[in-house]
Amino acid sequence: MTVPGAQRRGLALLAPAVVLTAVVTTAAVGSVLLTSLGLLPLFGPATASLQGFEAAAPDLRVASRESILIATASTAVALVVGLTAALLLLRLAPRRRWLGAPLAAVLPVPHLVGAAAMGLLLSGGGMLSRVFGVEQSTWPELVGGPWPVAVVAEFAWKESAFVAVVVLASTSAALPDLSYAARMLGAGARQRLLRVILPMAAPAAAAASLIVFLYTLGSYEVAWLLGRAYPEPLPVMAYRLYTSIDLAARPQAAATAVTAIGLSVIAAAATLPLIRRLGAAQ
Amino acid sequence: MNARRAALGQVVAAVPLAVWFAMPLVPIVLWAVAARWSWPAALPQRWGLTGWREAGAAGLPSAMARSTLLGLAVACLATPLGAMAGRALGWRLTRHSGAASLVLLAPIAIPPFAVATGLDTLVLRARLPGSLAVVLVLSVLALPYTTYILRAAYTATDPDLELQARMLGAAPRYVLRSVTIPVLRPALVTAAAMAFLVGWSDYVVTLVLGGGRLVTAPMLLASSASGTGNEPLVAAISVASILPLLAVVAGGVLVRRGRQGRRPAAARCRHEW
Repeated sequence: MTVPGAQRRGLALLAPAVVLTAVVTTAAVGSVLLTSLGLLPLFGPATASLQGFEAAAPDLRVASRESILIATASTAVALVVGLTAALLLLRLAPRRRWLGAPLAAVLPVPHLVGAAAMGLLLSGGGMLSRVFGVEQSTWPELVGGPWPVAVVAEFAWKESAFVAVVVLASTSAALPDLSYAARMLGAGARQRLLRVILPMAAPAAAAASLIVFLYTLGSYEVAWLLGRAYPEPLPVMAYRLYTSIDLAARPQAAATAVTAIGLSVIAAAATLPLIRRLGAAQ
Repeated sequence: MNARRAALGQVVAAVPLAVWFAMPLVPIVLWAVAARWSWPAALPQRWGLTGWREAGAAGLPSAMARSTLLGLAVACLATPLGAMAGRALGWRLTRHSGAASLVLLAPIAIPPFAVATGLDTLVLRARLPGSLAVVLVLSVLALPYTTYILRAAYTATDPDLELQARMLGAAPRYVLRSVTIPVLRPALVTAAAMAFLVGWSDYVVTLVLGGGRLVTAPMLLASSASGTGNEPLVAAISVASILPLLAVVAGGVLVRRGRQGRRPAAARCRHEW
């Protein structure tokens, strides 16, 4: 843009969104960080210490592992199912597009509703145990059991719809023509999938996967409703400590939040260059 | 024959996916209209609306009104701000787009519970009303999505469009209202819908910053779902939380299909002229 004053107009357009975001995130992260270091106590003098981290350290390790497990498993299933659904919908004849309707129905469902639904589906006495006629005592503990099966199922279910929609939105314009051209040039179905379709879908799928990973790492309500009491993921641990009657637990709650923020930022920083490279390669 | 086999293959592959997406919604739909459904019956033994009566008594209508207002407030704040930022980024009106994008995408990498618990004491000290803090925080969480959607829409729109309207004598405000906004309408609707959903679906930010006074539909659902198994009540609140959204989605699809159906007729008219 060479119009004079355009630069200033550009900044003026950006300012409200950037200032609001910067103020809210800086205040929140700063407050969490200071609280975790004992510098923002609810009462009494501020004294810098790592006590919050030290007191929570054993639980922090277990909770971090649980969070990473849930986020990785959910993201992997969501990516595979979502990508498959997107590619299938792209290939479906226009007459069969209605098969994509369930996908559109899942997208706006709040995660809390999804969690309640998964509870009614997967718990002992839930719908699946009725359909298969398995006694409640022998039904596997999918809800609140030794493995976070129901938690991962809810995230994977909801987020596979998200991955599918993102991939569809970014590829549906160019992919049919390119795939047709590759076919005319003699590429078989396997070659078309590996050389044309997957590389075309990769940048959107990778970006969507990162968003899913970060979301599931930081989400509270699904694991709170469907998870076990121990080990618990970081958000559930943080909120439990935060609402503890013992106000001395506040620095530990903040240390848990700092750990969750740290993991998210590391995950984003580690994968963003890859996503950028995929986008540039296209 | 080959084409028929391929079509059959598509349906065979599509059915498990349709089941994957639809199945979790089946139990809440059935429980919402069940009066008695004891184990091991695969279907309710008696149908009825007990869950809805209990949900009504628990305050579902006013909770849904509050959720609607919260969603609208977030959409009203995050959509225009996202559109302004999207204009600056999509039309490259600034040299600082890298830094601005980084700030605007940051909320994706900060867990909402951390933002809410971090701000809680500050909000109390500043004596900000809890519901205002909830709206502001949720708008910040919605901004990455609205900005991204509208940046893509601006990138796909030629800036010369506005210039041409200006050269034809239209005032800037008129250009925005009659040229730019109509061109961007689909993206604006999508962005506003995303922002509305952020407000409508939120649980943890409302829980922490609302101080228990802002009872939205998710708050009601959480308290009934975590309590002793009152399945019809949980199902009724769940269905009430998604039915309006599905109605809006289906309405949007029908409207778009209607417009597409009309287009050939309009094109014919122009041709005859």
